[in-house]
Amino acid sequence: MKDGNAIEVRDVNKKFKVYYDKGSQLKEKILFRSRNRYEDRWVLRGISFEVRKGEAIGLIGHNGCGKSTTLKLLTRIIYPDSGSIEMKGRVSSLIELGAGFHPDMSGRENIYTNAAIFGLTKKEIDRRVDSIIKFSELEEFIDNPVRTYSSGMYMRLAFSVAINVDADILLIDEILAVGDVAFQAKCFNKLREIKAKGTTIVIVSHSLSQIEQICDRSIWIHEGRIREEGKPRVVDPHYMEYMSEKTVLRAPENAQTEEAEPEEDKPKDETRTENTDEQKKRWGSGEVRMQNVRVVDDSGVEKNKFFNTEHISILIDYKADRKITDAVVGIAIYRDDQTYIYGTNTLIDYAEPVTLEKSGTICFDMRELPLNVGTYTVDLAFHKPDGFNYDFWREVCSITVKNKLNEVGVVSIPHEWKID
Amino acid sequence: MKALKELYDYRQMIFSLVNKELRGRYKGSVLGFMWTFINPLLQLLVYTLVFSVIMRAGIDKYYLFLFVALVPWIFFSASLTGGANSVLASQDMVKKIYFPREVLPIAYVTSAFVNMLLTFIVVFAVLIFTGYGVNPAALLYMPVIMIVEYFLALGIAMLSSALTVYFRDLQYILGIIAMAWQFLTPVMYSQGMVEEQLQNHPALLRIWNLNPTTPIINAYRQILYYKQIPDISTLLAAVVLGITVCIIGYVAFRRLQRGFAEEL
Repeated sequence: MKDGNAIEVRDVNKKFKVYYDKGSQLKEKILFRSRNRYEDRWVLRGISFEVRKGEAIGLIGHNGCGKSTTLKLLTRIIYPDSGSIEMKGRVSSLIELGAGFHPDMSGRENIYTNAAIFGLTKKEIDRRVDSIIKFSELEEFIDNPVRTYSSGMYMRLAFSVAINVDADILLIDEILAVGDVAFQAKCFNKLREIKAKGTTIVIVSHSLSQIEQICDRSIWIHEGRIREEGKPRVVDPHYMEYMSEKTVLRAPENAQTEEAEPEEDKPKDETRTENTDEQKKRWGSGEVRMQNVRVVDDSGVEKNKFFNTEHISILIDYKADRKITDAVVGIAIYRDDQTYIYGTNTLIDYAEPVTLEKSGTICFDMRELPLNVGTYTVDLAFHKPDGFNYDFWREVCSITVKNKLNEVGVVSIPHEWKID
Repeated sequence: MKALKELYDYRQMIFSLVNKELRGRYKGSVLGFMWTFINPLLQLLVYTLVFSVIMRAGIDKYYLFLFVALVPWIFFSASLTGGANSVLASQDMVKKIYFPREVLPIAYVTSAFVNMLLTFIVVFAVLIFTGYGVNPAALLYMPVIMIVEYFLALGIAMLSSALTVYFRDLQYILGIIAMAWQFLTPVMYSQGMVEEQLQNHPALLRIWNLNPTTPIINAYRQILYYKQIPDISTLLAAVVLGITVCIIGYVAFRRLQRGFAEEL
């Protein structure tokens, strides 16, 4: 193993036997020999990658592409048919939370059982038990039997144990569906903290925004092979584009019946070609499209240089093939060095999708943009709650922020001093 | 070696599984853990009644003769039949998370072993209170023979639990195997009887003595019933056979465990 590497996966192949009609009894094995026919399905065909110590990588790909199998191989639940996997240090997985929980035992007892499954000794658990309970926010209920817990409490306890194991390598499969929004945010912060401490992280997720926020590298697995590998901001759009195309192909009849007016097809085709020109900064199914995006000030004047105390509105004119009832409108602001500054969407703000008419204007109103001097770019998106993109547009516009003060840092925090 | 060290790291898991097994067994019953002691006591009472009143055997204090061999035998047979299910019973965990799979049969055999130790408290109480007495010098050999039996039972449990995953019928077949095995081991009769019957067939006797449970049961009986220090040859046979079976079981388990998650 190379120095500084935490995980080395070399040319791993994995097949599963798919039985036509499986029997595991003696009678069946002898009498129905012919029924025991199976075919080999190769899930992974020669995957190789390395992960440096302290690096966070995201595995992406559509369902059945082999990303979860890869994670299972890393967890050592299953073993490769050929190739080798080497890992250095203690491995913890947030794959099946709460494995081995006993409903009749108290939360505290279950912490011990569950942590023991991760290979911790009693002493090590004793040292961690308080921080686990604190993190789970279950102080009042910790001595009640786990069967009295709600499912959210159950997951919170399980997550708290798994994340406090202090592993060298952390494997995560679709984690942040734990608890309410506040707890999710807490988990995310904890994850960042863990990463900062030098833990190697491997995440499988369908939520690309999660991956972009935490991972240094994305690996796109496609039909058992690595299709692309690199910075999430580069790889993820390619993957999303592929997925949108695939979804459109999957339901061609629907799309055609909806596209009643041929005139509306034209601008779509134009923007499709524009995609390639703009180096793939825009992708999506196109059922809703942004037509025009303007950044205006208080008096409605379009401009792109603002003081950080000034009122800013982003106006988005859009057109849709039909009335869209499950839309989420999202925005992300990046500094020109690709630092993620801020992101939100209507689902975060209103907890339910919004309805878009066939055409209209959306206004994103900011009282001020409390950032420090710099150039910022804005990403805008129309997508479904599950992440399927109608129209994702990277770097739609850029805003230059000016500051009257000579402050330093990323943001400009409104403040005052009180000196006695 | 690395695997053994890892197993040592997971000692807390073994401990907590054993704890769960022992405490969970009588959960919900009124007398709870007391059943661990009441059960063998009642068993002994039945044997005494049957074999000293109804069916008189030609052996003095037959109920003790039988009981000192039956207690270790029950431990062994539980490891064989119950241990076979240990991986299958925890398939949810095996399919979902990583831990050294050996933990499962080890925990099962250990809990059965602890159970045997507790039963032996009853045995000793009976031996002392009935005035039968014990030989302290001979008792010094008890721990040795117990440890050997533990490793033998572990080897067998690892083998049976791993094979059962691939071949589910085994768990039912094992019931019959355990019964036949009991009759092929001097539990209900003495080794002397067999040697007498087979004195003209030395080859058969040699095969007979290959049964790994034979020297172990004989040693228990020598120590507790005959109050003698066990023969060195018996001890040696027990140690060699016990260790051999344990290593075979472990190696087989290591190989077979790779496919567990996919088979379950």
